[in-house]
Amino acid sequence: MAKQYDVLFRLLLLGDSGVGKTCLLCRFTDNEFHPSHISTIGVDFKMKTLVIDGIKVRIQIWDTAGQERYQTITKQYYRRAQGIFLVYDITSERSFQHIMKWASDVDEYAPDKVQKILVGNKSDEVDKRQVATEQGVKLAKAYGMDFFETSAFTNHNITETFTRLAEQVLAANKKDLDLLRMSINDEINLAALEEEEGLLCDGAAGDQGKGCWC
Amino acid sequence: MDQSVAIQETLEREENCKIAVQCDVLFDDIAESRLLGLVESAEEHAIFIYTHRRMAITADDVSLEDVIPICLDFAVVEVSSPEELAVVGGDTRVRVSYQEEELELRLPFGSHSRLFLGEVNRAWSDVCKSPAQVPKFEWINKYHKGTRGQGVVKQALTPLSTTLNKLSQHRKTEKSSDKKGTSEREKGSNSGTQKSRLPSSPESQGISSREDRDDLVRSSSHTPSNKAQILAMPQFGLRDNLIRCELLKNEDLYTYLEDFSFFLGTYNVNGQPPKESLSPWLSHTPNPPDMYCVGFQELDLSKEAFFFNDTPKEMEWTKAVTEALHPDAKYALVKLVRLVGIMLIFYVKKEHAEFISDVEAETVGTGIMGRMGNKGAVAIRFRFHNSDICVVNSHLAAHIEEYERRNQDYKDICSRLQFRPLDFTQPPLTIMKHDVILWIGDLNYRISDLDADNVKELISKKEFETLHSYDQLKRQIDEEAVFVGFVEGEIDFQPTYKYDTGSDLWDTSEKCRVPAWCDRILWRGKNIKQQHYQSHMALKTSDHKPVSSLLVAGIKRINTEAYKKTFEEIVRNIDKMENECIPSVTLAKQEFHFKDVKYMQHQAATLSLFNDGQVPCQFEFIQKPNESTYCKPWLTANPPKGFIAQGGSVEIELEVFVNRSTAPDLNSGKEQIEDILVLHLERGKDYFIPVTGNYLPSCYGTSIHSLCHMREPIQDMPQETLRKLVEMSVKENAANTEKPLDIPKELWMMVDHLFRNAIKQEDIFQQPGLRSEFADIRDCLDTGMPDSLPGSNHSVAEALLLFLDALPEPVVPFSFYQQCLESCSNASQCEKTISMLPQCHQNVFNYLAAFLRELLKNSAVNRLDVNILATIFASLLLRSPTKQDLAEKRKTQEFFQHFLTQGST
Ligand SMILES: Nc1nc2c(ncn2[C@@H]2O[C@H](COP(=O)(O)OP(=O)(O)O)[C@@H](O)[C@H]2O)c(=O)[nH]1
Ligand SMILES: [Mg+2]
Repeated sequence: MAKQYDVLFRLLLLGDSGVGKTCLLCRFTDNEFHPSHISTIGVDFKMKTLVIDGIKVRIQIWDTAGQERYQTITKQYYRRAQGIFLVYDITSERSFQHIMKWASDVDEYAPDKVQKILVGNKSDEVDKRQVATEQGVKLAKAYGMDFFETSAFTNHNITETFTRLAEQVLAANKKDLDLLRMSINDEINLAALEEEEGLLCDGAAGDQGKGCWC
Repeated sequence: MDQSVAIQETLEREENCKIAVQCDVLFDDIAESRLLGLVESAEEHAIFIYTHRRMAITADDVSLEDVIPICLDFAVVEVSSPEELAVVGGDTRVRVSYQEEELELRLPFGSHSRLFLGEVNRAWSDVCKSPAQVPKFEWINKYHKGTRGQGVVKQALTPLSTTLNKLSQHRKTEKSSDKKGTSEREKGSNSGTQKSRLPSSPESQGISSREDRDDLVRSSSHTPSNKAQILAMPQFGLRDNLIRCELLKNEDLYTYLEDFSFFLGTYNVNGQPPKESLSPWLSHTPNPPDMYCVGFQELDLSKEAFFFNDTPKEMEWTKAVTEALHPDAKYALVKLVRLVGIMLIFYVKKEHAEFISDVEAETVGTGIMGRMGNKGAVAIRFRFHNSDICVVNSHLAAHIEEYERRNQDYKDICSRLQFRPLDFTQPPLTIMKHDVILWIGDLNYRISDLDADNVKELISKKEFETLHSYDQLKRQIDEEAVFVGFVEGEIDFQPTYKYDTGSDLWDTSEKCRVPAWCDRILWRGKNIKQQHYQSHMALKTSDHKPVSSLLVAGIKRINTEAYKKTFEEIVRNIDKMENECIPSVTLAKQEFHFKDVKYMQHQAATLSLFNDGQVPCQFEFIQKPNESTYCKPWLTANPPKGFIAQGGSVEIELEVFVNRSTAPDLNSGKEQIEDILVLHLERGKDYFIPVTGNYLPSCYGTSIHSLCHMREPIQDMPQETLRKLVEMSVKENAANTEKPLDIPKELWMMVDHLFRNAIKQEDIFQQPGLRSEFADIRDCLDTGMPDSLPGSNHSVAEALLLFLDALPEPVVPFSFYQQCLESCSNASQCEKTISMLPQCHQNVFNYLAAFLRELLKNSAVNRLDVNILATIFASLLLRSPTKQDLAEKRKTQEFFQHFLTQGST
């Protein structure tokens, strides 16, 4: 079994009030769905551990108040995020229009390296759909983001969406991580041994012996 | 082994190495091992950096390279902070900086490193606590000189400062783009230091060049505050531990046993080089074993091996073993460990290599002085699939009568041999903590109570069982004096000691040793079966014969699917637990509205917090960005921070109070009763609490100018007009259609009321009014124009004073204040100054002065005099834009007195 080490990332859910940010989070962390809408007044967070490429990735997901009046305050939380979900509601054209505004805020306040993903929630509400899937696809393409339609209600694409963003953040920070992983890996250099046909060269023995002193 | 002992030997008596740690210094792409010691002398601390030979035991093993004093310029910062990107279970990386130098260190994962950093940090924070007491570090100077050749330290190797500099230079160039503001002077000093550090002679490198540099750089030293970063203990080590515990507890759910064969061999070679093939010993099994653990004793009996632990025999014998491994499989050498003549080599079949992890090796000397390596043990531990395995090769004390000494050696080895724990929260790993322990070696136990002839006779009759009953090891094990819990297979071979070298003949020297089973193989652990246990008479190099055994052990293998499931379940539960432990409160009320807020009228509401979380919580209202306080000046929360026990609650009073400094902007509508409080729970959520309200404008806190333009009560004025009036007073020349009032009607109402009712009132302006009556008077002034004001004369008098006090611009505007002070001794100058005031201010001034003179006419009844009135009114009419001192105060009174005495002169 590989050595235990953790990576901690902070992801942020953004989007208009009522698009389902809190429900997405609840579904992802607790696998629960509460139909009633209690608007988040403030900033809430939950933890979740994922294993990606054998690395235990702990993500801290921040759920923010979507209302206009709190936005000057919530913006201050952007700069601490490594990844951002831009969420709209497929039954609300308005919430989709606002994605532009959210995205420009992110550009202004979040770190340059931040990873973004576009999420169209409430995909179960087929009859009330106002935003076509293609519109989402197109917008995501324009921004160079990945795009998922999700349903917190039916648990559709939830894990996929969160995992994808976490993967992207991981990839964006790969260089730093590899350095860290290297410094941790003091296990025997099996790869090198495997490569050599004449496995048992004398020189190796001497070097290995010194290992015991450190 | 505590390496601070070695460091201590290099120090003066009054200097004390508190703690030492071995670490890697990281340069651009290489890491070099160094020994760091935290040294204290006369309550000053410094970090001594040594190069070192292996594990440092004495002063000879270390050599001082650099000294970093822990002063205000010193800082140590953990490189990856949990805020950013944190990795747990790894080594700790810290950046040490001192003045212009930076040094990056990698400390081994573990509590010892934490302890070291903790001590360093403590030393540094002590320095910061008393910054006045500048440490001198005189005691360090001798080390600086020493490295220049006086011999305190034996050799000065490549000075660290050179590399330090390299690193910091590198950083500088990286940073330079975002640090454009860096002063030229600083750059200059850098290039200067660069020059001074170029090696002129080998001895003068390092610390001496730092001295030169100190003078150049000192002026640009940092303030301590911007470096005041605290090394925080990462809290998530606990989490990993939890996962590990849970995984261990549920091991049965995801592991199954699979047999693997371990070939164990032990051979005391009596200092001889390999002279014959070892194949008869090492590859006589029909099938190739999965692992080889091959141990030697007395590999080299030379002095060199003993004193320097260095021998060519290591390679020679390793080669001989390697060549003699079973020909039907490929093996990888995983680890070799040697202590003088005791060596252990561990090979694994190539296809198993990837399942081996956490390999560690350790040695313990039990020889002369209890620590030399002529006797003792070496050990290798590793994890194979999911089993932890430890192999020990020991050479215990010799001589037939010394069996108790051998027992003692065994106990010493068990207690002193400790592997680095896999996780720093855990104690070091000892031999006995492994699932499988394989113990081989020349244990040196002999045959008691029989003479050589008896023994040899039993051997020739192959009555090994009988002979075994005289074996010291068997007897000691039976008495549970040694190797408790270990098993040894049946011995079906003749004793392996002592032969004439090169033959199968028993020792013919004059000592004529009694034959003995010195060389043994034992094991401890579940699911282990022995396939063979034998000696190898064919080998004749030594006075011992080698022994071998093939053990088949059930190793715990992981069922990947089941493991994944178990792991995920555990992680999910821990996540759940963790989420439940995030501090949380419920607010009885989410939002607060204060209705009809009035000037100087206190309003309060209660914010109840109930701790509905699973943990106690710490709350605090925090500042919003770009704001200096957590709330607007008219609002307070009491208490603004505190602690709530689990299930407990706290009531916070939210209080609104508009005073003279907040009133003007609220009156004009420039500000509203509107704020959002951010209630932060430590390590938890933030709550946004909107506070709103409507404010009723008041003449209190409104300018004379604006009031003169209001013919209606202020609360009847449209909000828009109020704002416009403020703007107008800014640009004085604004065209104004309506002629303004001479003086504010509110002022007139109060003064006229007093003139009519209170001119003979005893102690008028001396006795306070009632707060409730003030509220009535204020409301009256702000809402209507009654013929008379409510409340007592004293209350009206006080309301007048409060009115003057609340004026955003005093009756004598701030810009005239200085002029008034200058003219105070000259009555006509004073009058001239007043004549220059804006018309409405001038009117108010003269009106008030006339009224006060009327009052003074009745001084016999109302007991007022010029002094009293001058004192009271001067401070209201002539306010200083800044702070007023006593001399100034006197001058304002002198100024105003001229106007009170006008009529009488
Ligand atoms: N049908 C449907 N309703 C949803 C979904 N997600 C959220 N909702 C509902 O949308 C409302 C707002 O959700 P909430 O998570 O509080 O929105 P937030 O303000 O963005 O946090 C709630 O009434 C939810 O029940 C979904 O995927 N499908
Ligand atoms: Mg919400």
